[in-house]
Amino acid sequence: MNARTARQWMVTHEWMVKPMAQTEWIEGKGLMVWLAEVFSALGTGLYLVALFLGLKEEFALTAFWAGLLGWVGIAIFKLPLHAFYLGKWYRFWRAFPPFSKAWRTSWFARGIVFTMIFLAFGAIQLVLQGLIGYKVVAFASGAMDANYVFMVLAGVFCVMTAVYCGFAMSYCKSVPFWNTGLLPIVFLFMGVADGLALAMATGLVAGQEVTEIAEQATRIMLILNSLLIVAYLVNANYQSETAELSVKELVRGHVAWVFWLGIVILGILVPFIISVTSYFSGPSSLGLLVFAICCHTIGAFSLKYGVLKVGIYRPLLPKAHAY
Amino acid sequence: MARWGMVINLAKCTRCHACVAACRIEHFLPLRVTWPRLIALEVDEGYKVDVSTYPVRCNQCKDAPCVDACPTEASYKREDGIVAIDHDKCFGCRYCIIACPYQNRTYLSRKRDPGWFPGHPKTSIEKKGEKLYPHQRGTTEKCNFCMERIDEGLPKGLKPGIDRDATPACVNTCQAKALTFGDLDDPNSNVSRLLREKSGFVLHPEYGTDPSVYYIDYKLGGNDNTAPRESQTGYVVQHLSTVYEPSKAKLAVKHERGKKAVKDNCE
Repeated sequence: MNARTARQWMVTHEWMVKPMAQTEWIEGKGLMVWLAEVFSALGTGLYLVALFLGLKEEFALTAFWAGLLGWVGIAIFKLPLHAFYLGKWYRFWRAFPPFSKAWRTSWFARGIVFTMIFLAFGAIQLVLQGLIGYKVVAFASGAMDANYVFMVLAGVFCVMTAVYCGFAMSYCKSVPFWNTGLLPIVFLFMGVADGLALAMATGLVAGQEVTEIAEQATRIMLILNSLLIVAYLVNANYQSETAELSVKELVRGHVAWVFWLGIVILGILVPFIISVTSYFSGPSSLGLLVFAICCHTIGAFSLKYGVLKVGIYRPLLPKAHAY
Repeated sequence: MARWGMVINLAKCTRCHACVAACRIEHFLPLRVTWPRLIALEVDEGYKVDVSTYPVRCNQCKDAPCVDACPTEASYKREDGIVAIDHDKCFGCRYCIIACPYQNRTYLSRKRDPGWFPGHPKTSIEKKGEKLYPHQRGTTEKCNFCMERIDEGLPKGLKPGIDRDATPACVNTCQAKALTFGDLDDPNSNVSRLLREKSGFVLHPEYGTDPSVYYIDYKLGGNDNTAPRESQTGYVVQHLSTVYEPSKAKLAVKHERGKKAVKDNCE
């Protein structure tokens, strides 16, 4: 046993006296949490947009495929990524009622319950939407009435699935940057904006012209998101010293490139410029649209990465200058 | 029902690490896991420098965020106030680690539990230790106030905090008697008496978690004995790591000096 190993327990724990970033949910295996959260935002955003598209007969097919992609994003990517992150993944069932009543207090447990209910209602709604999209049944029929019911049910649980991770993070008093009610709203709105971009892509593939309506909505969502992000950062900046440190780290620190390049330029500015340009000079070219959609998606990955990465713990003792 | 708590007299703590060692032995902790920890805090008020050692461990909060956060109910609160973990229920989501405002939980990964002699077969002592106190990789761990000792001692009529066999190992081993254990709900217990006489503070009371670990220290906060304030702890925080282990920056400087010395000698 070397000297270093021998004194493992004799060193203090810097994360308790220095404002240090959490690593559990962003480093090593923790990257799975990041990816799961991204797929959660993209999946729920896309599904919500699909619900709105499904209200119009001419977009029924796009609504079906967009909804299906969103559903798959949650069922095939988000949930397995979350499960494989766990130390004991085969105990995943322990979070579900009736095996656990933790959903009463735990946002994590609530999120799993919301997700499962959303997947169940979403599956039924997608079957109905598929029948309508492929004109197996008429749009103005009983199937559409049933579809409306499941749209509402799936939509409610989709929103809950979209916001729960924000609430789970904002519950943590130890990380002041997350400890704000704005976080779930930021995640929800960014998810919807990304969903609009992906819905445009789905429309292109499905051969239905949803670009115009999606771009109109995108313009509003991007302005709203920019304001929300600014409000979030300003709020964090004045919330506590540790949260201020998180903001500095995000804006000027070693993850600044993720913020400026990923979130601001690719996630907001580029798609916004492209959509504004199309407003004045007619529809954008296919290449430009694909580029905007890619930028949007990179923005979704960057936002979650940045927020998770600068989640700095408040030190156990009041002040440390070592950071 | 009792509510077990601990009072830590910072003025008495000699930073000997005996409590840490006792805990390791008691629970046969894996190599890179430590339940109680010692933090050295240096307070510079310009004209006076004070050094305090803060022994920290799970605060066994009355309103524990980790218990509320746990999605499987693996973290639970016992009637006696101890926050315990059922390792057979824990699935290792690590939400409790992030939710704990006192950062007192540890995830037991393969990296943290490489065996006592990494790269070598397990010794007979290790094998026995694993049977006595099995740790499950992929779950979360923390201090439990040696609840096994309390649970075994109480039916025998022993009093935790008074009788050694029912008292946490760290309290038993503290040579300076800096740690006191007892029932916070009993006004005549040793901890209640101590808190009444010398008053005490908890770390981060603003979280509203109502911890069961109190501190007494007349050096910080003056005679009113309050938690250290930011204005008091402004200047330098010294880590024990700087005592036992040179920092990477220092090592780099040393390395550069060494290289320069070799170069000078060669020339």
